[in-house]
Amino acid sequence: MDNTVKRLLERLVRRIPSRMLKTTLDKWSRLTATQRQSIDYTESKWALTEKLLAICEVFGCSLTVLVSPWFHTDVIENPNLGMWHAFQLMDPQDDAHSVELTQFKEQFKSHLSELIRHVSIKIKKHTDEAVWIRIAWGDTFSRPNHLKPTYVVHYLQTPYVFLSSLTSKQKPLLSQALVLSTRYQAIKDANLSGRKLTAIRDLLMKQYLQVFPTKFPSPLAERNRVVSNLHIEKEQAGSAANRHQMACEAFGDGLLPQLQSAVYKLETKFRDHTNKTMTERDEPFRCVVKFASTNLLESLRHSASSGVASTPVTPLLSSVPLKGKNYFVITDNGPGPSSQK
Amino acid sequence: MVCERKQCASGDRTGTTALSRVTFTGQHCGYPVGGVVTQQPPKSKTCKRSGCLHRIKYVQKNKEKDSGNMEGAPAKGVLSHLSLLEVKARSRKTQLQQQSRVMELKAKVEALKTQREQLKAQIQTHQDLQKLRLAMDKQCADEEEENMEEESENSKLLRLMARHTQLKDLLHAHHLIGGYDIIKTRKGKGACVSIATAYEDVFLDTFNLEIDLKPTVKISRHNIPPFIPLNNLAEQNNMQTDLRVFLDTLSKHLNAFAGRKQQLKLVKEKHKSVEVMESNVLCSLLVLLFTVPREKTAVLCTLDYTDHTRCLPTRVHLESEDKQLPDSPQWKKNCTLLMETPVHKALITMKKMGSIA
Repeated sequence: MDNTVKRLLERLVRRIPSRMLKTTLDKWSRLTATQRQSIDYTESKWALTEKLLAICEVFGCSLTVLVSPWFHTDVIENPNLGMWHAFQLMDPQDDAHSVELTQFKEQFKSHLSELIRHVSIKIKKHTDEAVWIRIAWGDTFSRPNHLKPTYVVHYLQTPYVFLSSLTSKQKPLLSQALVLSTRYQAIKDANLSGRKLTAIRDLLMKQYLQVFPTKFPSPLAERNRVVSNLHIEKEQAGSAANRHQMACEAFGDGLLPQLQSAVYKLETKFRDHTNKTMTERDEPFRCVVKFASTNLLESLRHSASSGVASTPVTPLLSSVPLKGKNYFVITDNGPGPSSQK
Repeated sequence: MVCERKQCASGDRTGTTALSRVTFTGQHCGYPVGGVVTQQPPKSKTCKRSGCLHRIKYVQKNKEKDSGNMEGAPAKGVLSHLSLLEVKARSRKTQLQQQSRVMELKAKVEALKTQREQLKAQIQTHQDLQKLRLAMDKQCADEEEENMEEESENSKLLRLMARHTQLKDLLHAHHLIGGYDIIKTRKGKGACVSIATAYEDVFLDTFNLEIDLKPTVKISRHNIPPFIPLNNLAEQNNMQTDLRVFLDTLSKHLNAFAGRKQQLKLVKEKHKSVEVMESNVLCSLLVLLFTVPREKTAVLCTLDYTDHTRCLPTRVHLESEDKQLPDSPQWKKNCTLLMETPVHKALITMKKMGSIA
């Protein structure tokens, strides 16, 4: 058994958290029941890996065999490893809406194999209608590198594709294959990225709770409301409720998708009359502003409802959930953010 | 201990004794403690009035009542100073009350009179509106032409108001039967449409659209999923000029999608023997695997819902290992059944007839 397989196996075992190891190995159908029982899960991971390697040596585990069921547990169960980037397919052709799974699979595999000779593609459909594609890239001289695969997630009949671990060399090849197999005409960067796939997916597919103006905006007040201080209540209750409503309308209610950052790249002219040297320059003032948080949308919503950010919420901040982006390029042309990408 | 006397206010009212250079006040129950007091504070006594449990406390007090105890304040503290001021303010109020009370009441009477006149005018307008509404509703029902006689400004306005209430009631009725509802936002510059979806008498998700009305009609925000081609529908149905047609088409698409989604959910819940091989987010494609009882042959059934405004499939395709099965009369009937009945109901019938397990 060669080194790549050994390294791959070690890497795969390392990535799985110890508590999930037993369930993962049980799903691997290549191990017989006796072999499974012989694995002692109380040993350290290193010892476990050695044991597995020994078992694989016995029946000559090949790379493809190793890869196929494992990638399911590798990434699908842990989709929060690494950064995910969203891309948008543009200009659907007439039959884009009737692309079905088998057609997409065949087309994608054939197109990508035409573009690059040594490539290993595995496509699997998850229960929530997501199509997962695992691509191991090789080139004309070397075999596919399974240690650095690219993952692609796509929901058929939507224009969004989510990619993880893609280099700039591989990007045009993958883009072409995707465009041709989904029957669209172009693909562009959606300017949204995050560590959690579910978060950026929910944001783009609008699967979080949004708040819209209704006839009866606030729920009926309870009869015996316990109020800590009547004076504060009298002064602040109205404006606090107003701010909360505007914050929820801008960002949403309940649990919000977990974004980690928002980046604003400014290319505007410097505007401060007290600083003549900067204002006299002709070129725009280049500046990058980055907001980072464990849950960015939650923090923005809280800052709006607590009054730290002024309400109505500025379009710069509310564009994050509205347009589903967290990378903006701001120029002097229009009011509010305009992305040139 | 609390005094049981009716007027007792826990002893914060001062009663003064006779003045001398240094006076001591007996504080309690608002009743002056009898007797002249000497320069030295007397011994503390208990009130002899029946039921009262207070002890009389003797406190030094300056000659001028109104000086506000300035020098004493730092010695006693700010709070006690504030309480003295409060007492003074109260005493001042009671003095002025008599004079201003009459003026107050007179002003109140005037205000109430004007309010009454306003309310009377409102009731009159409301009654006129009601009459006009009845006439308008009758006119609509009989489809007569409205008489365009010379109308005064007032009656024109009334007519407009009546039409406004008529439209509002229509919209409310539309909303109640499960259609869409519109409300004004941002002081008339925008509108928010909420489209309710329902299937088989059960309300499902509600979708919302926020629309800018000025300067052009444009969608600013919505929670419609991306597989519903919102922008295409807006263009095709000319949202700028005919909002109603656009909303009707959108409502059809959303209701059909909700219906198909609900059918899929019911198939998964109620027909566990049927395996769902493929479906998609738009619920426009469904591939089911049936098992024929007794022979245990598998039949693969593909349902294509190419018309996205309908809940029924446009094409049903059957495949089986037994090549003659799809052409048998029983399965031809099943095919038509699947084309004409919602899939979860069709499966019940097929099970009853014994076509599938």
